[in-house]
Amino acid sequence: MQSMSLYVEKDTFVHRIDPISKIFYIIASIAISFILQTFTITIICLVINLILLLTGRVFKNVLPLIGYSSLVLVTIVIIQGLFNPGNKTALFELGPLTFYTEGLKFAALICLRVINILCAFSVLILTTRPSNLIEELIRKGVSPKIGYVLSSVLQIIPQMVSTMGKITDAQRARGMETEGNLFKRIKAFIPLIGPVVMSSLIQTRERAMALEVRGFSSPSKRTFFNQRHTHRYGIYIQALLILVTIAAVVWRIIE
Amino acid sequence: MSKIEVRDLKYSYENGIEVLKGISLTFDQISTAIIGQNGAGKTTFVKLLKGLLKPSSGCILINGKDTQDTTVAELSKDIGLVFQNPNDQIFKSKVIDEIMFGPLNIGQSPEKAKSNAEQALEMVGLEDRRYDNPYDLNLSDRKLVGLASVIAMDPEILILDEPTIAQDYAGKEKIKGIIKKLQDQGKLILTIIHDMDFVAETFERVVVFNQGKVLLEGNTREVFNNSRLLKEAGLESPHVTQLGKKLGYNQTFLTVEELVQGHRVRQGHGTRFLFHQ
Amino acid sequence: MKKIVVENLKYRYPGTSELALDDISFEIEEGEFISIIGRNNAGKSTLCQALVGLVPHFFKGAYGGQVKIDGIEVGNSELHEIVAKVGYVFQDPYTQITGSKLSVEEEVAFGLENRGVPREEMIDRIYHTLKLLGIFEHKDKNPYELSGGQMQRLAIASIIALNPEVIVLDEPTSQLDPQGSEEVFQAIQNLSQQGMTVVLVEHKMEKIAQYSDRVLLIDKGKLIDFDTPAKIFSREDLLNYGVHPPVYTQICQQLGKHKDGVYPVTFDEAYELLVKSYV
Repeated sequence: MQSMSLYVEKDTFVHRIDPISKIFYIIASIAISFILQTFTITIICLVINLILLLTGRVFKNVLPLIGYSSLVLVTIVIIQGLFNPGNKTALFELGPLTFYTEGLKFAALICLRVINILCAFSVLILTTRPSNLIEELIRKGVSPKIGYVLSSVLQIIPQMVSTMGKITDAQRARGMETEGNLFKRIKAFIPLIGPVVMSSLIQTRERAMALEVRGFSSPSKRTFFNQRHTHRYGIYIQALLILVTIAAVVWRIIE
Repeated sequence: MSKIEVRDLKYSYENGIEVLKGISLTFDQISTAIIGQNGAGKTTFVKLLKGLLKPSSGCILINGKDTQDTTVAELSKDIGLVFQNPNDQIFKSKVIDEIMFGPLNIGQSPEKAKSNAEQALEMVGLEDRRYDNPYDLNLSDRKLVGLASVIAMDPEILILDEPTIAQDYAGKEKIKGIIKKLQDQGKLILTIIHDMDFVAETFERVVVFNQGKVLLEGNTREVFNNSRLLKEAGLESPHVTQLGKKLGYNQTFLTVEELVQGHRVRQGHGTRFLFHQ
Repeated sequence: MKKIVVENLKYRYPGTSELALDDISFEIEEGEFISIIGRNNAGKSTLCQALVGLVPHFFKGAYGGQVKIDGIEVGNSELHEIVAKVGYVFQDPYTQITGSKLSVEEEVAFGLENRGVPREEMIDRIYHTLKLLGIFEHKDKNPYELSGGQMQRLAIASIIALNPEVIVLDEPTSQLDPQGSEEVFQAIQNLSQQGMTVVLVEHKMEKIAQYSDRVLLIDKGKLIDFDTPAKIFSREDLLNYGVHPPVYTQICQQLGKHKDGVYPVTFDEAYELLVKSYV
C-alpha cells in the first residue's frame, strides 16, 4: 500500500546521493537565487535543478506540481503586469487593460524563483525515500521523538484507509446511504467522522503506552536496523555547496 | 422460498486473488455457525451476504432479492450484520440514540424506531444505561450496544461476527440467551465464531469453510463427528466431543450434560452386566 | 530471591472512587507460567499494568503497597528501567504497533533499536522471533495490511524479540483461531521452559489448565486464590467469581469423579479417571 509520499522509486545517481546533501542543496539553491537577484543567476539555478531532475528521471513528476502552482503564478503575472507601482513602459494592451514591461519583468523573476524552489524541493522529495531521510536526520542528532512523529505522518494514509474502510462498512450495514447526490454524501460524513476521531483519540493514548513499553524512553544509544548508506561524495558535495554560497555572498558584497 | 440462497458464488480481490471459489448454500430457519481458520473466507462471505461486496460471479438471493441489484441500505431491512469491533460504528453520545440510528436509516418512523430500540435494549439487558455515553461503558457492554443496534432494525436474518471475543463466562451466557430469544422470534441467526464449545451448545447447523470453499456442512452433531475433515480444515471438535470419542462412545456428545448422561447410562449397563455374570 | 513480589498492592484510577486493586499480595518464582483469571473488569488488566509499571507511572492515580521485580521496586523506578526487564503485550493488537514503520521486520526492530542492540544481533533476533510466531513470510509487508490475527502475532513477536525476563500478556490469543491459539501457547511455553517468567490473562480455561504452573483468581480487585490449576478449578464456588472451570472438570464434578479431593482439569487427566470407572 502506498504510504503518503511523493517518492518515486528509481535507481539513479541523484537517488543515491545522501539526503543531508540534498537538504544542503535546497538551502544553497534558494539562498543563492535570493542573494544574487539577477535573471541570469536564477535561470542558471533553474537549469541545474532541471538537469538534476532529468538525471533522476523524475522530471515528469514535477510537472503536476508546477501545474498546481500555475494558478498562483498566473495571478502574480496579471497583478504585477497591471498594477506594479514601478510600471511605466506599456508592453501590450488587452482590451481596456494595459500590461507594463516593468511589472511583467518583476513577475517573471518571481515566477522563476517559485519554480526554482519547487524544483529544488522536488529534487529532495522525489528522489529520497522518506524513511531514509528521517533516519538520516535521527542519526545526525534529531530527537527520535520528532522522527517518530514524522514517520507516523507517512503512515496516516494506510492507517486511515484501514480504519475508514471498517467504519464505512459498519455504517453502511446500518442502512446509511453512501452513494447518491452530494447532500446524501455530506450527510453520510458525520457517522463516519465520529468513530474515526474517537478511535484516534483512544488509540493515541494506547499507542503512547505501547511505545513506552518498547523502550522508547530508553537512554541507551540507539542502533539502526537499516543499513547506513555511506555516500562517499556526501561530504564533498556539502563542502562545495557551502563554498558556492559563500562566494555568492562575497560577490554580492563586492557589487 | 429460502431466506438465503447462494448459487455458485465466487469472489476475487482487485489484485486477482480468488477468495471464494464456488459456494452454493441455502439457509432457512436453522441457526447456523460458520467456522474455519482465519483466512478461509468467512468474513468475505458474510460481507457478500450483506451486500457490502458484490459477487465476481454467481449470485446471492436474500428473501428473493438479488444482492447485485439491491443497495446495502435496502438489504438492511432484511439482513443485519453485527461487526466485531463496536468502536468502528459508535458515534452518538447516548446509547439510545446510537441504537435508533439504524432503524431510522431504513425508514422506520421515529415512534417505531424508539420502541424497537427500547425492546432491543431490554433484550441485551442495558435498559438502565439508555442515556449513558456508549464510551462510558466497558468493552463487553459496548459490544452489546452494537448488537442491540442491529436487533432494533428488526431484520429477519442476523449475522454476528465473533460475538464471544473478549466476553467472560457471564457475557457468553448472555449472548447465548439473546440468540435463543431471537431464534424463538423466528429469526435466522448466522455466526462466525472460533469457540467450538459455544457452537456445540448453541447452534443446530454448522458450515465449515476451508480455503474459499465449503468443506463440510450439516447439523452440528454430524459435522463435529467428522474429525477427518475438521482436521483438514485446521479445526477441532469441541472439548466434550473429543473426550467422548476417546472414551469410546459411539455418540457424538455436544454438551457436558450429554456426556455425563451417557457415562451414567454406560455405568448402569456395566453394573448390570457384572451382576448377570 | 523471588522474581516478582507483590505486597499489599492497592490502586485507584484517577477520577474514580473504587479501588481497582484492593490489597493484593503474592509471589512468583522465576520461570513460572502463571495465569490470571476472573470476570471482566475484575482487575486483571490493571494488575498486569502494575507489574510492568504503567500503573502508576503512566496512569497516575492513587497507589499503595509495593511491586518488586528482582528486588527492584516498580513504584520507585523509571519506567524505562522496568520495561527493560518486563515485556507487556496489550489486548488490542491494532494500537500496539508503532504506526510509524513501513514493514513488519522494521516494526519488530523498533524496540531493539531503542535499546541499542547491535545490528547483527538485531537481525538474528527479529528473524528468529518472526519464525517462532509464524509470520516470517510477511516480513516485508506493511503492518496495516495484516489481518487481526497476524497483527496479534506481530505484537507478541515485537515484545518477545526484546528478550524480557518477565513477559505479561493480556489475552494474547483473542483474535486467533484455535490452531493459532495453540501455536501461541506452545511458543510461550517454550519461552517459559527456557527461563522466562510468564504472566498471562486468559479466558480459555482448558488452555490455562494445560499450560499453567499456577492460577491466580481475582475478583473486584481482590486476590481470591492463587494455587495450582487443579486446586483452583476444583473450587465449588468458582461461578460466584464469574469463572467456570474447564469442560473436563465440569464433567468430572457432575459425575463426582475426583482424585484425593481434587478434580481433573486437563483432557488426559479426565480421560484416565473416567476410563477407569468401568474397567
